[in-house]
Amino acid sequence: MPARLKENTAPEAGATELLPPVQEGIFSLPAAGETGGPRLMGGYCRACERYHFPRERHCHRCLGPVEAADLGDSGVIYSFTAVRAKPPLGLPQPYAVGFVDLAANGLRVFALLDPDCVDHFKIGAPVILAVKPLGHDGKGRPCLRPYFTLQQHPAESEA
Amino acid sequence: MTDVYVIGAGIIPFARHEASSLTDLSVEAAYQAIKDSGIVPHRIDSGYFASVLGGRLFGDSTLGQSVFAEVGISGGPIVNIENACASGSSAVCLAYNALSAGQSDYAIVVGAEKMCVPGLGLLNSGESDIETKLGLVTPASFALRAQRHMYEFGTTLEQMAQVSVKNRRHAAANPIAFFRQPVTLEEVLNAPMITDPLTRPQCCPMADGAAALVLASGSAISNNKRAIKINAAVLTSGSYQNPIDLVRWETDQRSCRLAYEKAGMGPDDLDLVECHDAFTIAEIIHYEALGLCEVGEGGRLVAEGATSLGGRIPVNVSGGLIGRGHPVAATGVAQIVEVVAQLRGEAKERQVDGAKVGLAHCMGADRQGDARSCTVAILSS
Repeated sequence: MPARLKENTAPEAGATELLPPVQEGIFSLPAAGETGGPRLMGGYCRACERYHFPRERHCHRCLGPVEAADLGDSGVIYSFTAVRAKPPLGLPQPYAVGFVDLAANGLRVFALLDPDCVDHFKIGAPVILAVKPLGHDGKGRPCLRPYFTLQQHPAESEA
Repeated sequence: MTDVYVIGAGIIPFARHEASSLTDLSVEAAYQAIKDSGIVPHRIDSGYFASVLGGRLFGDSTLGQSVFAEVGISGGPIVNIENACASGSSAVCLAYNALSAGQSDYAIVVGAEKMCVPGLGLLNSGESDIETKLGLVTPASFALRAQRHMYEFGTTLEQMAQVSVKNRRHAAANPIAFFRQPVTLEEVLNAPMITDPLTRPQCCPMADGAAALVLASGSAISNNKRAIKINAAVLTSGSYQNPIDLVRWETDQRSCRLAYEKAGMGPDDLDLVECHDAFTIAEIIHYEALGLCEVGEGGRLVAEGATSLGGRIPVNVSGGLIGRGHPVAATGVAQIVEVVAQLRGEAKERQVDGAKVGLAHCMGADRQGDARSCTVAILSS
């Protein structure tokens, strides 16, 4: 696992744990003492055998109950772009967004991409989930956002 | 089902109207449309008013009732509509449905926006939306389609830039357009990047503006030689399929197909198209959804000149959103105002020779890689 991911998700100072997520329930962080990185969280309908992100209140197909589902932490880029105009929500300038095809279930989800890699993304590139303080919640309060970063960081691939 | 016609059209310049209120802009467009229709206002028995940002920016609500009262229309049903970029054309669809069902004889539709205010920033699809919270802004949603279109079909930066060159050239001949100066291919390609690969002239400019139509049922038009028939006016929403295909746009294709079915027409029947070119790649994908070319061929279609004034199927001879400007709720009405002018043969130097059938296509907002609203109207003289 890239060093930066650990750094982003398990800071020594504990600041990350104190910040709220940009939206409840869309990712999980490893508990204290656990290994591993953050997971993308969504929903699952047993009757329809269907995953979704974000979690639906009721299954959109059968209106049956949905349960929280671990959607994994990896995928490949379906499309991406760097936003170079003045960013919203205190995000970095430039920042990047895209659609990621999740490895675990084939869902295609809209996602933030690592703002430190804006010029290195490619369609088909493998990516892995990370979480860190990024921007604010629309009212100026800092918050945690999930984002996908390259599995092979450009600095490592060039080394 | 009663036939429905457009009998009056009005539009004000799309520009920065710093000294005018949203009501001022709306009333002027409505006044022009009623004067153009030749009927007295008290005969108009229903009204539809579209604005997206009036509530948020100016604290307005139910502005339609105020606007229509200012031009002598009151007493009947009046509805205020918000459907993102397709608000104005959604209003046209509602008016069309009421007239078609025989519930009204004359209806007025106004789409208006005042949005040239400091600090508005890039538009999004609602501040409580998960994708907005994760950084989606409207230009990015189309940049993601552009990247994928380039990857799958080899569409080039130059082909996309040709959409801006064409629409800005068209806009130079439209007195109400925001941009009256054409741009060169080099200027488009070398302009500042908004979101890769879309440079600034490939993104429609914000503007203030208003457009209006008076619609009449077939039984009410008598011998009006300037009446333009509405053969179909459809409103749809996204299907939000997962995985969504960003370049074979199911909602776009389905909406166009539905309009063709209802009109009993196809792409070969069209003499001109006004489509929702909020960004250059959008126009290219809409060519494909409309069946003007095969999927993947849209970039080549614009580059060979087929969609220019004088080409096989002119698209956005008004200048489109890129040239005319995009006062959000006014756009969908303005597109039909342009089609009406063309079908009446009154479009002067941007007239499409012998235009008999025209199509107006509009889309609004993003959700899970899909559009939230889509409208397609087909009109004929």
